[in-house]
Parts: sequence; structure tokens; C-alpha cells
Amino acid sequence: MEFRILSAAIASFVLLFSSCTKEVKIDIPGYKEQLVVDGSIREGEPPIILLSKSQNIYAPTDINAYLGSFVGDAVVTVSDGTNTVTLSKICTDDLPPGTEAYAEALFGMSIQELQQLPSPLCVYTSFDPTMFGQVGKTYTLTINHDGKTYTSTTTIYPPVVLDYLTWKPEANSSSIGYLYSFMTDNASTSDNFMWEMKKVSDPMFTKPFNPYFNDAFFNGLAFEFTIYNPLSFNDSTYAENERGYYKQGDTVLMRLSRMGKKEYNFFEKKINQVFSSGSPFATPINVPSNIEGGALGVWVGYSTYLDTVICQP
Amino acid sequence: MKFNLFLNLLVLVCGVFSTPAAFAQDKHTISGYISSSANGEALNSAKIYVPSLNKGAITNNYGFYSLTLPSGIYEIEFRCTGLTTVKKTIDLSTENVTLNTELGLKDGEKVFEEVVVNGKKGDNVNSANLGQMELNIDQIKRLPAFMGEVDVIKTLQLLPGVSSVSEGGQGFYVRGGGPDQNLVLLDEGVVYNASHLFGFFSVFNSDAVRNVNLIKGGMPANYGGRLSSVLEVNMNEGNNKRFSVKGGLGAISSRLTLEGPLKKDRGSFIVSGRRTYIDVLAKAVISDTSPFAGSGYFFYDMNAKLNYKLGEKDRIFLSGYYGKDVFTFADRDGGFSADMPWGNGIAALRWNHVFNAKLFMNVTSTFSDYRFKFGSQQDEFRIEFLSGIQDYCTKVDFSYYPNDKHRVKWGANYIYHVFTPSSVSASQDTVVFNTGNAQQLFSHEEAIYLMDEFDLNDRLRINAGLRYTAFQHVGPFTRYIKGDISKPDTAIEYGAGDLIKFYHGLEPRLSFRYLTGEHSSIKGGYAYNYQFVHLTSLSAVSLPTDIWYPTTDIAKPQIGFQASLGYFQNFFSDKYEASVEVYYKGMNNIVEFKEGALPGDNVNDNTDNLMVFGKGWAYGVEFFFKKAVGKFTGWIGYTWAKTERKFPDLNNGEVFPAKYDRRHDLSIAATYMLNDHWTLSSTFIYATGNTLTLPTSWYVQDQNLLFNYGARNSTRMAPYHRLDFSATWYDKAYKTKTDPATGKEIEVKKRLRNNIAISVYNVYNRANPFFLYVDNDGDFFNGDFKLSVKQVSLFPIIPSVTWNFEF
Repeated sequence: MEFRILSAAIASFVLLFSSCTKEVKIDIPGYKEQLVVDGSIREGEPPIILLSKSQNIYAPTDINAYLGSFVGDAVVTVSDGTNTVTLSKICTDDLPPGTEAYAEALFGMSIQELQQLPSPLCVYTSFDPTMFGQVGKTYTLTINHDGKTYTSTTTIYPPVVLDYLTWKPEANSSSIGYLYSFMTDNASTSDNFMWEMKKVSDPMFTKPFNPYFNDAFFNGLAFEFTIYNPLSFNDSTYAENERGYYKQGDTVLMRLSRMGKKEYNFFEKKINQVFSSGSPFATPINVPSNIEGGALGVWVGYSTYLDTVICQP
Repeated sequence: MKFNLFLNLLVLVCGVFSTPAAFAQDKHTISGYISSSANGEALNSAKIYVPSLNKGAITNNYGFYSLTLPSGIYEIEFRCTGLTTVKKTIDLSTENVTLNTELGLKDGEKVFEEVVVNGKKGDNVNSANLGQMELNIDQIKRLPAFMGEVDVIKTLQLLPGVSSVSEGGQGFYVRGGGPDQNLVLLDEGVVYNASHLFGFFSVFNSDAVRNVNLIKGGMPANYGGRLSSVLEVNMNEGNNKRFSVKGGLGAISSRLTLEGPLKKDRGSFIVSGRRTYIDVLAKAVISDTSPFAGSGYFFYDMNAKLNYKLGEKDRIFLSGYYGKDVFTFADRDGGFSADMPWGNGIAALRWNHVFNAKLFMNVTSTFSDYRFKFGSQQDEFRIEFLSGIQDYCTKVDFSYYPNDKHRVKWGANYIYHVFTPSSVSASQDTVVFNTGNAQQLFSHEEAIYLMDEFDLNDRLRINAGLRYTAFQHVGPFTRYIKGDISKPDTAIEYGAGDLIKFYHGLEPRLSFRYLTGEHSSIKGGYAYNYQFVHLTSLSAVSLPTDIWYPTTDIAKPQIGFQASLGYFQNFFSDKYEASVEVYYKGMNNIVEFKEGALPGDNVNDNTDNLMVFGKGWAYGVEFFFKKAVGKFTGWIGYTWAKTERKFPDLNNGEVFPAKYDRRHDLSIAATYMLNDHWTLSSTFIYATGNTLTLPTSWYVQDQNLLFNYGARNSTRMAPYHRLDFSATWYDKAYKTKTDPATGKEIEVKKRLRNNIAISVYNVYNRANPFFLYVDNDGDFFNGDFKLSVKQVSLFPIIPSVTWNFEF
């Protein structure tokens, strides 16, 4: 992590010296189209798989190119070792009732925008309750597309429970403050997490700047830590000096999802790439997929720990 | 086979040692020191020459020479570049002669152009040195300087076979080798990071440096520990005639040097310091109320040296260097601050002893310390990273001059390395996180060598040597053996002094010179080297964050060889020198980080678990043309080269070009002395663009745009070219005064001298690529999303003025 901070610090310093930045056209050899898998299965929820294709770096980047990259003609199955289910294709022009908010969050578009698309976007899922995520189970994903087969497995590990989650006002202002949590880490397990936050009224959780962390630094320790408010940065009701804080009276829901090591590796490298992309002080990082068969992306199982906080002293 | 070779060499040397006894009655030796008459400093590479026999010798690094001749009376010339030749008649009929000679002008005496000679006339053809370049600091000072800072390493980068890392960068690549494969020595102390300001300035203060010697091929056996080159930087010894001051006031930094006798003609000192004032300038821009108040950067360095003659046979030298860069960044609004100090400390104690006219000894003890630290704080969370290396070195070198045909050297050295590749600490308020133990690695490195440079006949000179090196990685150490996901990690504990791994090997070295005519020669060389330290870099450019790591049970020693062949030809009485050299270099066990590796903490891990190992090779041809004397001097160097790497665990095991693979590299340096007051100079560089790895495709995961990178270093930047220019004005060097002895008016050199150097960097304002990146702008869903490749350039046209003074 310190290398990432360091890289950013040096990059900003060197850019002080830079005389100019200009667009150039140079040959970047070696493009090949690859299947991209964005699949997850959460405790108590159905598997969701979104398939698309990688695009040439110089390919058009308009909305049609983005829509055209999605794959809707694959055969996708998920197995928990006992049962195997072929997933159905659910498309934006025919969403089951109650799934609109989920579709909005998944694609990053409002339901109106989704329904006005020239071609619908599709995900692969199953509403068979036997294939809803269960703690302790390992799920195998198989995709057949264009004559190729891609596979991956993921396990849903037991959730980690926080000792407490509470709000404390700042010393100089009683109306804003951070959340404070206490964690007692299990020394005998390797724990990998993603954390998200939402207001009670929000349909979906919001990810912070970097939602991923593991216990490499604090394995076996018990400690208190602060949690900033990722929701405040896109909420106009928060003044500039309130960004990052929770306001007294807020009611928020925190979700702490636990995942496997390979899946964490994907997300850790992904964040590294997102943070360092373009810096000459960072090694080009390809995000390591856990999909066998030459696809990009990830197949991840999450367990869920939920905690609600009413921000009162 | 290796043992036989060693045996043969011993037999050869024993033969050498027996020679003087057999002919003792017919030969005698002249020996002594050659020094400068102006300041008393020893002159290395000065020449003693006997015209009647066409024989000569060259002073060593300490100004000592020894030449054995048949009994007789000789007129002998003592020469050194830029100084008046001294001729003396020496009687060697009956006994050895010890003669210390001063060359040059007495302080205040006037120079006459016609008696100043090129002391190295013909050396490039005659010497057996292959791939060696020596630069005098005066030459370097005459060339254009970036922001007015005279820079040794940037001048070296103008030589064929030597390439820069990037715009302004200090790291240098020699014949396809990595920057860690250069042994950089300051008064024999190892310099692990030779740069300031992320590489834009060299640690070598030009006022404290006497000369620079680069060996890029055919490394003699007295050097080792690196695969590619040796860069020897020798500090001034200090004026032992009188106290003097010199300095300079530049755009971003100033220098001051004091030197003088400790006791006249016995000992002297020099202290030289330099500091930048970027931080002071930054304070003027960033107000105290700004959230960025406290951000800034500065570096300083200090060189000091004492030398003292204990007697006619003994001299001691104590030199030191300490330099530090400090970068601080503060963002009070964001609650973030960072500080990053790094620097070198070097100390060297040397003792020269002359046993007799033919045997010279130098004993050196050095301490080198390089540390890099980075700390950052975000609100209550503080993280610190520390990396460094300390070397404790002792070595002894003997030079034996049995007769005029042989120059024998032997010696031994020992280094105790302490590496701290990564030490991380982190805390949140009062809770200290477990970041693992600070990794420290301890090792011993030893070497002995024997070499002889001898003339088989008038045309053929051979330098044959053999070096034996050994390396022990010792405890205390914890080796973490990483399991995959299904297996737990395990650890092996080693106690203090436990031998973890032992490596050793023989390094044969051979070079020859064959004179094909009076002004031409063919030279060839072969060198086999071990290297026990590795520099691993995560970034595309060289940074102080690059980690030095020793050879361990996992990280094997780098092993390399280089074969080179050259033709050297001088024209017009050696006024013009030309050469062409071809080389092939092979390297094994070179180190890179694994793809996607990101050293973080030390929890149950060793840095070398993140490394992968491979091999590399480089070949090329270098052309060099130089005008060495006259009002107009300079050189043109052109290199065609190819440098590739192959790692089983990188780039799918396929060959890829090194990031500094550079097909064409052209450098032109020219200096013209217009008159007594003005000297003009210019340099021009053209180089094929560096390679880099850029993404070939993009994809979206969870609404994040991600890139998929193509083959390693498969993209090439635009070519680099740049023209620099400088004009230096010197005040009048002499004043007229009446000679009290004769009553006549004479001209004497002025004590106070000034010059003003005006430099223009990047005259035609070329936007050279520093790095490229793929930029994404806009939003998919707003229809304004765009990906583009952006080129960042660093320095536009930069004029600078520096005032230098001396009294």
C-alpha cells in the first residue's frame, strides 16, 4: 500500500516539472478480444453474471461501443457440488418486478435509460432458491461461448462480526463525526473484506474509494478504527467541510462482505490499477482473473455482515 | 579447467617475479609521484616517457609511477594533459632513482599555449584498455549544464555505449546492462544511489571532483562485483600550496569549496558543500495559510577530504561524502502529509605505502550507507517505509612493476553487507499494526585477484587476470516459504552467523592490444563477472524507491560475460581519434518483480518471494570520433545496439526488449574557445525512444474501466533528441606587475577568478517523451467518454546562468 501512496506522491511531484502533456498516436501491438466475466454470488442471493468482451484500446468509446461489448449468447451454469443450474438470461427490456433498482446499480444507468437503449442489456441469473448463496459452499461457474469453455470456483466463507459500530461526534463539532468500530481478528484465518455503506432509504450500497482490505496488517489483533462516510461525497446535503463525516441523525447501514484470497487478489490488483494507471512510477498491472480458459474478470462469493447505526452520541 | 587456468597464471606471474633478479645488474628503476605544481595534488594517468627508447609508464590513481630501464642516462619527459611537459635528465647507470615531479604552472605563472600538450596523446591506440573513457572535470565543466549544475553523469551519457534512463535521469545503462550493474565508486567507496532530485542531478559535486573514469568493457581483474561497468570518481585532494576558495551561485543551487594545506607540501584538506533552494522558492509561492504549506524539496551534499604524507613512503587519505534529499508534501485540508528523505553517506580511509621502487600498496577501508525512508500520515493513520544498505569494506591492492614489460597487480577485498530491503511500520492512533519484522539480510563478500599487463612484443600487449569471488548469505534470517492457497506458509529460522547459502566462482579477464601501425591498433577483451547485489524496480523509471537486495538462497548471483573487439585509429599526429567497437554481453539470473507484485509489508514474507529470475543479452557496435586538442574540441559517438530479456515467468516466457533497448544513439559534444574570454559549447543527442508497456484493450468490471496490458515493453516512444548550448565568459586571467628582481613588467595569474556560464537546455524546445499513459476522460453514459494515449514531457527550453568564482 505504501508503494501506491509513494507512487502517487512522486508522480504528482514530477508532474510539477512537466512542461506539457499532449495526445499522441502510437502503435500499440498485441490486441486480442477476450471474454470478460463479472460474476458474483452472495449469501442468500442468486448468482449474477454479466458477460462482455474486451475492446481495442483505440476502438470507439461511445455508448454503442459499450453496449455492443455485452455478450448475450452464452450458456452459463452454476454448480454447488450437488446441484447444477443453467442460468437464465434476464434483460433490461423484460425485468422481473422488483429488480429495477438492482439493474440500475448493476449497469450504472437509470431504469428509464436502460429501457430506452437500442438493444437490451442482459445478465445471467437463476431464481432457483437452491442456488442462492450459502455460507460454506463452493460454487463452480461454467460458461460456454463461441466454442470455448470457461470455468471458475468460489467459496462463501463465514462472515466476520464487528464487536461494535458506533458514531462519535468530532471534538470541535457535535453535529458531525465518524463511525467507530472495534474488530477482534481471528489469527487462524486469512480474512479478506469488502465494505460498503448506504442510507436506510437507499436501494443499493455504495462502495467507498477503496472498499477492499485484508487482515495482513492486523491478523490476530483487536483494535478500534474509524470509518469515513463514502456517501457524503455525492450528496449535496453535505457541505464541503462535512464531506467524509456522518451527520448527527443519519441512519446508515454498513455491509462487510468476506471473500476468498484469489478473489481478493483480483480486487486488490484492480484497485491498484485504477489508482496507478498511467503513472510511470508503477508497474503495469494486469488484473489477475480467477477464470480458467482465458477470460478476464472475476467470479466471487460473498458472505454478509450487516450493521445499522443511528448517528447519535 | 578453471584451476588449470589459475595455475598457468601463477606460473606466468612467478616468471615475472624472477625476471628482475636475472637482469638486476643491467636495469634500474625510476619511481616517484607526479603532482600538480599549482596545488600539489597527485596527478593520476600522467605519463613518464623516454623518447629514446619509446617506452613509458603511467601514474596510478595516487600519482605513483615506476619505470624500469636498462642502465644508462636518459632524458625523460613528464606529461599530463593541459600542463607543461617537464623534461629531466636522469642517471640510471648505477642505481635506482626516486624522483617526485611537479607538473604545470606555479601558482600565478602564465601559460603559453605552445608548451601545453595533450598528455594522453596516442593513449587510446597504445593502451590495452578496452572500453575505457576518462574525463577530466575541466572538460565536463565546459559543456552545457542543466539548470547550471555541472553534471558528471550526464556527460558520461554522451559517450557511446552509455545511455540515460530517461529525460534528465541519472541512472545510466552501459551496453545493455541494468543500472545496478554499474559499480559507482567515489574515492573507492561504493555509491548506491548516485542521484539527487529523483535522478535529475548527480551526487557528484563538480567542484569536489578531480576526474572520472568509466570502464564499460574489458573490466580488469582488480574490479568486480558488477556485470557491466565501473565508474570511478576521484575527489580533489585539496590544495597543499595555499588556502583557496571557490564556489558558484546558480539558479537552483549554490556551491562553496574551501581547500588548503594542513602543512605545506605535506598535507591538505578540501571541504565542499552544495545546497538547492527549491524549498525556499516554494515557500515564496506557497503561503503559510495554504493547505500545502510545508510542502517542499531540497537536497544538500558535502564532500570532505584530508590527505597527509607521513613520510616519503607513506600517505594517508580520509574522504567523506554525505548527501541527503528531503521531499515533503502536506495537504492540510485532506489531513494528509508525507515526507521522504533519502541519501548516501560514504567514508573512505586509504593508506598508500611504497615498499620500494617497484612495489606499491594501497589499503582502503570504506563505509557506504544508503537509506531511503518514506512516511505518510492520513489523519491518525501513519505508515513508514524504510529501505537501505550498508557496506563495510576493506581491501588491499598491490602494484608491482618488475620491469618495463610487466605491470602486475594483486589484491584482496572483503565486504560485509547489511541490507534492509523493506521495513514497514504502521499505526492507527495508539494501536501499532503488525507489519512483520524489519527484513535485514547479512552477507559477506570476498575476492582475491591477480593480473598482469605485459608486452609480449612491441606490438602485442596483454592484460590477463583472474579473480576469485565468494559470497555467504548468513543469519539471522527467517525464510518464509509461501504455500499456495491450499497450503499454509512455513518458515525456517536461521541464527546469527548461520550460513544460509554459499556461492563462489572464478572470473577470468583478458584483454589485448595489437598495434597495427604507429597510429592504429586492434583491441579485444573478455570479462566474466559475478554480481551479488540486485536492484529491483517496480517502476518504469529509476527511483530512490528501487530496492537493493542481496543474493540469497532464492536470488542467485547475477553472472555475466562480455566479449568486445575494437579498431582504433588516430589521424594528424593524434589530433583526431577514431574507434569502432563491437560487443556481446550475456547475463544470467537477472531479477525483476513478478507481474503485479507489490511489496507491502513484511508479514510472513521475504521480498525475494516476489521476484522472478531470467536472462538477458545485449550486442551492439559503437563508433567514436574525437578531436582531442586545439581551440575546437569535441566528439561524435554513435551506437547501434539491441538489448533483450527472457524470463520464464514474465511475458509468457517470451523474449522481450529491455526497457532501455535503444537501437540508435547519437551524441555530439563540441567546445570552441573563441578567445581568452569566451568559450562556446554545445551538445546534441538523438536516441531511439524507450520501450514501455501500454494497455492493448479495455473492459468494464463493476462499472470500473480496466485495462489489459499487452506484451512487455512492446510499445516504443517517439525518439528523443535535444540540443543544448552554453557560453562561458571568463574574466582576464592575468594582471601585469613589476618583477622586483628584474624591474621588468611581467604578467601573473590573478588570484580572484570569475566566470559566468550561460546555458540553454533544450534549445529548440523539443517535447521529448518522458512517459506515456492511457487517459480516460468523460462518462460512458453521457456520451463524452474518450480514451487517448497521452505523452508527458518534462523540460522545455530552460535557460540558466551560473556565476563561478575562485580565489
